[in-house]
Amino acid sequence: MVYWILLQKSFMRNMQYKVAHLINNAASAIFGFVFIAIWVGVLQGKENESPYSALDMTYYIAAVQCILWLSGFLTAGLNIQNGVRNGAISLELARPTNYFLYVTSQEVGRLLYNLFFRSLPIGLVFSLTVGFYIPQHLPTYFFLCISILFAMIISINLHFLVGISACWTTEIDWAHFVNFTLLVGLGGQLVPIDLLPAPLSSITPYLPFAGAIYYPVMIFLEKISSEVILIQLIWVVVLTSFNLWLTEKARHKLEIQGG
Amino acid sequence: MNLYLKLLSGSLRSRMQYKMNFLVSSLSYGLIMAVDFVLLAAILQRFDDVKGWNLYEVGLLYGISSVAITLYRVFCVEVHNFERYMVEGEFDSLLIRPVSPLSLLLTKNLDLSRIGGTIQGIIILVISIIGLKLNNIELFLLLIYLPVTIVSGVLICFSLGLITATIAFWTQRIKDFQTFTLYAPFNAANYPMNIYPGWLKIIFFTVIPVGFMNYTPILFLLNKGGDLWNLALPPLVSIIFLFVALRFWKFGIRHYHSTGS
Repeated sequence: MVYWILLQKSFMRNMQYKVAHLINNAASAIFGFVFIAIWVGVLQGKENESPYSALDMTYYIAAVQCILWLSGFLTAGLNIQNGVRNGAISLELARPTNYFLYVTSQEVGRLLYNLFFRSLPIGLVFSLTVGFYIPQHLPTYFFLCISILFAMIISINLHFLVGISACWTTEIDWAHFVNFTLLVGLGGQLVPIDLLPAPLSSITPYLPFAGAIYYPVMIFLEKISSEVILIQLIWVVVLTSFNLWLTEKARHKLEIQGG
Repeated sequence: MNLYLKLLSGSLRSRMQYKMNFLVSSLSYGLIMAVDFVLLAAILQRFDDVKGWNLYEVGLLYGISSVAITLYRVFCVEVHNFERYMVEGEFDSLLIRPVSPLSLLLTKNLDLSRIGGTIQGIIILVISIIGLKLNNIELFLLLIYLPVTIVSGVLICFSLGLITATIAFWTQRIKDFQTFTLYAPFNAANYPMNIYPGWLKIIFFTVIPVGFMNYTPILFLLNKGGDLWNLALPPLVSIIFLFVALRFWKFGIRHYHSTGS
């Protein structure tokens, strides 16, 4: 299957940069230590006012730093914008493959690489230093896998959306910035979204950003009911269908221009 | 100097050819840097302080560190993106000019889109200074000293950037080192150093001395401890560190071998 081959190739391509990535992992862990230090400093002596203890937040941030490599730090616009700029997209869209799968399978290969060479080493660093949570119940592992899978699909879709928008705007830098900011800000990268100020804390649970970071982390920490996977599932379906529709639109637009 | 100003205005004019793109990218860059601070404000609104530092006090540290790193990103863009010269073999062309390679790098280009981050940092500084409600003498001292701490910060940042760029003479690629030597330390310097565990503090006051830039002087200026030395250290440390960085850069150039391809 062509998509599986693309996925493998993308995985192998990233393997070329293993050493550089391992250095980068140390920096990623330091970012984690900084955020953990902030929370430990904030919660010192105030733990009874907070739904999270200092240890909870340590586990939370450690888990976030790992999952960010699966659903946070994706390729800007999945590189679709480059194809738009140099015209290659006209060929790619005309191929008898599904363009959406063609682009996303390559990103999945990169994310799988990240799982082994970024998320796991970073998790290991945390477990040897500040500690890493280990889920206590067996079903958690099952739900965690589904939740992470959905988180990846949601994030890939958000990035695809930014990328395919290049067909209309050509410039996607700002869209990527906005998307990334919302993803980490409203996804709960630094602050668990239930601790956000009033209007935000009631809206963010229903936005796709929470599905990309907050929900899988909370399921991992066994602090939330596994029913939230349904919210993730809705976003998976909505975003995927919207992107497939948008890809068709982009194809039509190309045909008009090329005629 | 005259030449430098000409190069700057040229770079500014070329940037302004794409006004809308320039405005949107500076705005979004400012926005992404502000998000961390807004989230911190959300935490501190609920929990008051982080180890004795309230939002405005942290804001002062945050503002200085953001202004310093973004000014570096504006003025030293070619040093920051130095790996291009190694990977694409363009460094040879710098060596044959009658001006030193470093002066060429510093005058070649400006990244004005980063100025949005500087403005955002200044806004946070202004909000924090107003929120602190200092008495006249404290306010006067802080305002007088602020440029010193920002310049020290830029020098420390530039030195770190230059040391990282020099590494490229051996490793070619440096993007991953930069996360380690610039982004992570400057992110850490946004917050008071007393929240960090001992080993991190040691790093931030020795090999990557970002702690001196804002934490050391602000500690004294906000009556949180220290003495007049706290005000003398930032310029002192930054100049020594700059000297070390320049020596290392020269050492790197001496060991540079062109690819010859």
